[in-house]
Amino acid sequence: MGFFSKLFKGPEVDMEKSNANAKKMRLLFNQVVENGDDYRLIYGYTEDVSRFNYGFVHGSKTKIGNLIVGWNEASQTIVVVPTVPDLSGCGDPTWYRRSEILKAYRNKYPTDAFVIYPDKKGYIAINAYDWLEDESLYVYVSQEEELAAFTDFFLNHYATK
Amino acid sequence: MPLRELGAFLLLLVVVFIIGNLWFHMVEGVLDRIKGLFLRRKEPPAWHPLPPEEENQDH
Repeated sequence: MGFFSKLFKGPEVDMEKSNANAKKMRLLFNQVVENGDDYRLIYGYTEDVSRFNYGFVHGSKTKIGNLIVGWNEASQTIVVVPTVPDLSGCGDPTWYRRSEILKAYRNKYPTDAFVIYPDKKGYIAINAYDWLEDESLYVYVSQEEELAAFTDFFLNHYATK
Repeated sequence: MPLRELGAFLLLLVVVFIIGNLWFHMVEGVLDRIKGLFLRRKEPPAWHPLPPEEENQDH
Protein backbone atom coordinates (compact mmCIF):
# COMPACT_ATOMS: atom_id res chain seq x y z
CA MET A 1 0.00 0.00 0.00
CA GLY A 2 2.78 2.34 0.95
CA PHE A 3 4.53 1.80 -2.35
CA PHE A 4 1.44 2.35 -4.49
CA SER A 5 0.22 5.35 -2.54
CA LYS A 6 3.65 6.90 -3.04
CA LEU A 7 3.61 5.96 -6.72
CA PHE A 8 0.28 7.62 -7.41
CA LYS A 9 0.82 10.63 -5.17
CA GLY A 10 3.10 12.24 -7.77
CA PRO A 11 6.05 14.50 -7.01
CA GLU A 12 6.15 16.11 -3.59
CA VAL A 13 7.52 19.53 -2.73
CA ASP A 14 10.71 19.67 -0.68
CA MET A 15 9.51 22.32 1.75
CA GLU A 16 12.96 22.85 3.25
CA LYS A 17 14.35 23.77 -0.15
CA SER A 18 11.28 25.83 -0.98
CA ASN A 19 11.49 27.82 2.27
CA ALA A 20 15.22 28.44 1.76
CA ASN A 21 14.51 29.79 -1.72
CA ALA A 22 11.65 31.95 -0.49
CA LYS A 23 14.10 33.45 2.02
CA LYS A 24 16.65 34.08 -0.74
CA MET A 25 13.97 35.74 -2.87
CA ARG A 26 13.16 38.06 0.01
CA LEU A 27 16.85 38.89 0.55
CA LEU A 28 17.41 39.68 -3.10
CA PHE A 29 14.24 41.73 -3.38
CA ASN A 30 14.95 43.77 -0.24
CA GLN A 31 18.48 44.36 -1.48
CA VAL A 32 17.31 46.22 -4.58
CA VAL A 33 13.91 47.61 -3.55
CA GLU A 34 13.60 50.28 -0.90
CA ASN A 35 11.15 49.28 1.85
CA GLY A 36 11.04 45.82 0.28
CA ASP A 37 9.20 44.42 3.28
CA ASP A 38 6.14 46.43 2.25
CA TYR A 39 5.75 44.08 -0.71
CA ARG A 40 4.50 40.51 -0.79
CA LEU A 41 6.40 38.23 -3.14
CA ILE A 42 5.79 35.50 -5.65
CA TYR A 43 8.03 33.85 -8.20
CA GLY A 44 7.11 34.25 -11.85
CA TYR A 45 8.72 33.87 -15.23
CA THR A 46 8.51 35.21 -18.76
CA GLU A 47 8.68 33.18 -21.93
CA ASP A 48 10.33 34.50 -25.05
CA VAL A 49 9.30 32.20 -27.87
CA SER A 50 10.96 32.74 -31.22
CA ARG A 51 9.99 30.77 -34.28
CA PHE A 52 12.39 30.08 -37.08
CA ASN A 53 12.09 28.68 -40.58
CA TYR A 54 15.35 28.13 -42.41
CA GLY A 55 14.10 26.39 -45.50
CA PHE A 56 13.52 22.76 -44.60
CA VAL A 57 14.49 23.32 -40.95
CA HIS A 58 11.84 24.97 -38.82
CA GLY A 59 10.90 25.00 -35.19
CA SER A 60 10.88 27.27 -32.14
CA LYS A 61 13.18 28.34 -29.34
CA THR A 62 11.93 29.34 -25.90
CA LYS A 63 13.93 31.49 -23.50
CA ILE A 64 12.79 31.60 -19.86
CA GLY A 65 13.36 34.73 -17.78
CA ASN A 66 13.01 34.23 -14.04
CA LEU A 67 11.38 36.99 -12.00
CA ILE A 68 10.78 37.93 -8.39
CA VAL A 69 7.44 39.71 -8.43
CA GLY A 70 6.54 41.97 -5.53
CA TRP A 71 3.22 43.69 -5.02
CA ASN A 72 1.91 46.32 -2.67
CA GLU A 73 -1.83 46.44 -2.35
CA ALA A 74 -1.98 49.89 -0.76
CA SER A 75 0.00 51.65 -3.46
CA GLN A 76 -1.30 49.36 -6.24
CA THR A 77 2.23 48.75 -7.41
CA ILE A 78 3.93 45.71 -8.89
CA VAL A 79 7.73 45.49 -8.84
CA VAL A 80 9.54 43.00 -11.05
CA VAL A 81 13.12 41.93 -10.35
CA PRO A 82 14.92 39.63 -12.83
CA THR A 83 16.81 36.72 -11.32
CA VAL A 84 18.19 33.25 -12.11
CA PRO A 85 16.92 29.79 -11.06
CA ASP A 86 19.57 29.33 -8.33
CA LEU A 87 18.87 32.82 -6.95
CA SER A 88 22.57 33.68 -6.89
CA GLY A 89 21.79 37.28 -7.85
CA CYS A 90 19.29 39.64 -9.38
CA GLY A 91 19.04 42.60 -11.71
CA ASP A 92 17.55 46.06 -11.29
CA PRO A 93 13.87 46.34 -10.40
CA THR A 94 11.16 47.70 -12.66
CA TRP A 95 8.13 49.43 -11.16
CA TYR A 96 4.65 49.12 -12.60
CA ARG A 97 2.40 51.58 -10.78
CA ARG A 98 -1.25 51.18 -11.69
CA SER A 99 -1.65 54.93 -12.14
CA GLU A 100 1.17 54.99 -14.70
CA ILE A 101 0.58 51.88 -16.79
CA LEU A 102 -1.39 51.74 -20.02
CA LYS A 103 -3.31 48.56 -19.24
CA ALA A 104 -3.14 45.28 -17.35
CA TYR A 105 -5.14 42.11 -17.68
CA ARG A 106 -4.98 38.40 -17.11
CA ASN A 107 -4.48 36.40 -20.26
CA LYS A 108 -5.89 32.91 -20.60
CA TYR A 109 -4.76 31.99 -24.10
CA PRO A 110 -2.25 30.83 -25.33
CA THR A 111 -0.89 30.75 -21.76
CA ASP A 112 -2.27 31.78 -18.41
CA ALA A 113 -0.34 34.97 -17.69
CA PHE A 114 -0.58 38.33 -15.97
CA VAL A 115 0.00 40.91 -18.68
CA ILE A 116 1.09 44.51 -18.03
CA TYR A 117 1.54 47.17 -20.71
CA PRO A 118 3.59 50.01 -19.21
CA ASP A 119 3.20 51.90 -22.50
CA LYS A 120 2.37 51.27 -26.14
CA LYS A 121 5.89 50.11 -26.95
CA GLY A 122 6.08 46.90 -24.97
CA TYR A 123 4.56 44.59 -22.42
CA ILE A 124 5.48 42.01 -19.82
CA ALA A 125 3.61 38.72 -19.46
CA ILE A 126 4.21 37.10 -16.07
CA ASN A 127 3.54 33.39 -15.79
CA ALA A 128 3.17 32.01 -12.29
CA TYR A 129 2.35 28.59 -10.88
CA ASP A 130 1.99 27.04 -7.42
CA TRP A 131 5.19 25.07 -7.92
CA LEU A 132 7.49 24.12 -10.79
CA GLU A 133 9.65 21.06 -10.41
CA ASP A 134 12.39 21.75 -12.98
CA GLU A 135 15.10 23.50 -10.97
CA SER A 136 17.32 24.01 -13.99
CA LEU A 137 14.78 26.38 -15.55
CA TYR A 138 12.66 27.72 -12.69
CA VAL A 139 13.02 28.76 -9.06
CA TYR A 140 12.06 25.88 -6.78
CA VAL A 141 9.44 27.42 -4.53
CA SER A 142 5.99 26.38 -3.38
CA GLN A 143 3.67 29.40 -3.34
CA GLU A 144 0.06 28.28 -3.45
CA GLU A 145 -1.13 30.80 -0.86
CA GLU A 146 0.90 33.72 -2.18
CA LEU A 147 -0.16 33.07 -5.76
CA ALA A 148 -3.82 33.04 -4.74
CA ALA A 149 -3.30 36.38 -2.97
CA PHE A 150 -1.50 37.85 -5.99
CA THR A 151 -4.21 36.63 -8.37
CA ASP A 152 -6.86 38.22 -6.18
CA PHE A 153 -4.91 41.50 -6.02
CA PHE A 154 -4.26 41.54 -9.77
CA LEU A 155 -7.82 40.77 -10.81
CA ASN A 156 -9.63 42.89 -8.26
CA HIS A 157 -7.31 45.84 -7.63
CA TYR A 158 -4.79 46.09 -10.46
CA ALA A 159 -6.28 44.90 -13.76
CA THR A 160 -7.64 47.70 -15.91
CA LYS A 161 -10.27 45.67 -17.77
CA MET B 1 14.27 -5.96 -50.96
CA PRO B 2 11.70 -3.98 -48.97
CA LEU B 3 14.05 -4.20 -45.99
CA ARG B 4 16.85 -2.69 -48.03
CA GLU B 5 14.54 0.09 -49.24
CA LEU B 6 13.39 0.73 -45.70
CA GLY B 7 17.02 0.93 -44.56
CA ALA B 8 17.82 3.35 -47.37
CA PHE B 9 14.85 5.52 -46.46
CA LEU B 10 15.88 5.60 -42.79
CA LEU B 11 19.41 6.49 -43.82
CA LEU B 12 18.02 9.31 -45.93
CA LEU B 13 16.07 10.60 -42.91
CA VAL B 14 19.24 10.50 -40.78
CA VAL B 15 21.13 12.45 -43.46
CA VAL B 16 18.32 15.04 -43.67
CA PHE B 17 18.35 15.33 -39.87
CA ILE B 18 22.13 15.87 -39.73
CA ILE B 19 22.14 18.41 -42.57
CA GLY B 20 19.16 20.19 -40.97
CA ASN B 21 20.99 20.48 -37.65
CA LEU B 22 24.17 21.71 -39.31
CA TRP B 23 22.18 24.27 -41.28
CA PHE B 24 20.32 25.42 -38.15
CA HIS B 25 23.53 25.89 -36.12
CA MET B 26 25.25 27.65 -39.00
CA VAL B 27 22.39 30.16 -39.48
CA GLU B 28 22.04 30.70 -35.73
CA GLY B 29 25.81 31.28 -35.44
CA VAL B 30 25.76 33.89 -38.21
CA LEU B 31 22.72 35.62 -36.68
CA ASP B 32 24.36 35.68 -33.22
CA ARG B 33 27.50 37.27 -34.68
CA ILE B 34 25.46 39.91 -36.48
CA LYS B 35 23.49 40.63 -33.27
CA GLY B 36 26.79 40.78 -31.35
CA LEU B 37 28.08 43.50 -33.67
CA PHE B 38 25.07 45.70 -32.98
CA LEU B 39 24.79 45.03 -29.23
CA ARG B 40 28.50 45.43 -28.46
CA ARG B 41 28.08 49.06 -27.45
CA LYS B 42 25.27 48.29 -25.03
CA GLU B 43 26.20 48.36 -21.33
CA PRO B 44 25.75 45.05 -19.53
CA PRO B 45 22.73 45.04 -17.21
CA ALA B 46 23.38 45.67 -13.51
CA TRP B 47 23.67 42.54 -11.39
CA HIS B 48 23.39 42.27 -7.62
CA PRO B 49 24.70 39.00 -6.18
CA LEU B 50 23.09 37.36 -3.16
CA PRO B 51 25.01 38.40 0.01
CA PRO B 52 27.67 35.66 0.51
CA GLU B 53 27.06 35.12 4.23
CA GLU B 54 23.41 34.35 3.54
CA GLU B 55 24.36 32.03 0.73
CA ASN B 56 26.69 30.06 3.03
CA GLN B 57 24.06 29.64 5.72
CA ASP B 58 22.05 27.32 3.53
CA HIS B 59 24.93 24.93 2.76
